[in-house]
Amino acid sequence: MRTSIPELVTWRHDLAGCLHACAATLLEFHGVDALEALGAGWGFYHRPGGLERAEYYFPCRPGVSLLATLAPHHPVRSAWRRPADAARGWAEVRDAVAAGRPVAVAVDNFELPFRPAFQDVHSNHLVVVHGFDEARGTVEVIDTVPPAFAGEIPLERLSASRDSGNEVRHDRDMFFTAHPIGNRWLDVEVDTAALPEFDAGFVRAAIVSNVDDFGNSPAGEGEYAGLAGQRRYLAEVVERYARGDEVCDELFVVAGAALAVVALHADWLALAGRRLAVPDLREAGRAADRIAHHWTALRILAARTRDGTTSAEQLTRRHTALLLDQERLLDELTRVTARL
Amino acid sequence: MVAPTTAPPRRGVLDLTDFLDCAGITPEDGLGTGAFNIWSNTFPAAELPARGSDVVVDGVPFRFPAEHPSGADNVRCARQLVPVPRGRYDWIHVLAAAERRTEDEVLLHFADGSVDAEWLRVSDFWPETPARFGESAAFRCTRLHYPRHVQRNMGPVIWRRRVAVPREEDLVALRLPDNPAVHVFALTLEAA
Repeated sequence: MRTSIPELVTWRHDLAGCLHACAATLLEFHGVDALEALGAGWGFYHRPGGLERAEYYFPCRPGVSLLATLAPHHPVRSAWRRPADAARGWAEVRDAVAAGRPVAVAVDNFELPFRPAFQDVHSNHLVVVHGFDEARGTVEVIDTVPPAFAGEIPLERLSASRDSGNEVRHDRDMFFTAHPIGNRWLDVEVDTAALPEFDAGFVRAAIVSNVDDFGNSPAGEGEYAGLAGQRRYLAEVVERYARGDEVCDELFVVAGAALAVVALHADWLALAGRRLAVPDLREAGRAADRIAHHWTALRILAARTRDGTTSAEQLTRRHTALLLDQERLLDELTRVTARL
Repeated sequence: MVAPTTAPPRRGVLDLTDFLDCAGITPEDGLGTGAFNIWSNTFPAAELPARGSDVVVDGVPFRFPAEHPSGADNVRCARQLVPVPRGRYDWIHVLAAAERRTEDEVLLHFADGSVDAEWLRVSDFWPETPARFGESAAFRCTRLHYPRHVQRNMGPVIWRRRVAVPREEDLVALRLPDNPAVHVFALTLEAA
């Protein structure tokens, strides 16, 4: 059998990674505008026990799916499928694609010829699979993370990357290794009949919900949520670092997720400002970008805690500035929505 | 201390040698000798100007980083206070690249003791990533160096951008931001 789902939208954001790229392609396939959906939500949630060493890690509340977390104002959800072995892993992905549904699959870059890390660095990455040719033993893959790739690779390569143990080999295997890929793949569902219009009412409701969550976000035992949770988390991680604890991998991954969310929300606010002809929203989008740029700095500061180059004072100074700008933006968003 | 000058040239390159602290450019036979980003990727020396050479980008002269004993070729921003030849300037032209897009304040120190904050904004150096702040690509390479191989289909970028100097007073120094994601390769001051 040979099949290929054509004309998929390829998508990448400079401050997000493979997770949002794959989610965007899958959402667009289901008729959902990627930025409208992925940029609408903005919040903070962290559960230390849920942290995963994967490029596509994103903090989800218990019981809330990954896609529902990424696009909380849209009727979407997802489920990680965790097949027992490589054979079952391919059978499940094959069936989905044969039925006309592209899917996202977790891979180890070490096994993929089109990745720079091929046979060099292990990493837990995500790509879209949208076709296969059984006679030729190939699969069609989309990966928009540079170097962007869209084309065929041998099925055996994809299977090896999906079945990898993702072992640490050397010092460049940072952050996203030592976490077996496990043939997992992401199944996506969209309730297309309930998709919202991108109008003033939707924009207002999304912003009000986001701002409310920052102010009144319930947090269970060991969880950090909302603005208070974000402030507490950053203070505690600096305290731990100051007394000699290793925080590099954790803070780098947390910062990466927070960076992607606010960067997408910045573009979403700008989009809303253009569509609704509300300059205040475009300005709020620019202010959200400023928050993203703080997270860029904090993420690199986090990486440089590994060898002690970053001081606790630097982390504190940065997250203090970030929180001040964030509080200012949340106040401004409240004012903007009152006028929508 | 900053030595005063009476008539600065229209555009004067600034010597950053004393501040270089990061090796971000490597030759193909020395891939492991630098680490521009946290993954130890580097720019290819073969596609960039020679060390210490004068280059003109979009009509603006720059001096590419001179040889440094440590091998460093750029300044990773960490609140360095960089003296400049005292004078009135309109623009600070910058060759820079960032580990993901970011922005931060540069503090401009003036001879009368005043200090103004202005924005330094730098897009990602990573291949296939467009400028976000309206910069021009000063150097767009065709390959990216990894510690153990050369990736010939990924081209990192060094951006040219500028920082305004609105205050009409003599500038004497600038304080770089405390943002390790920002790397500065060269600075040129444009007189008012």
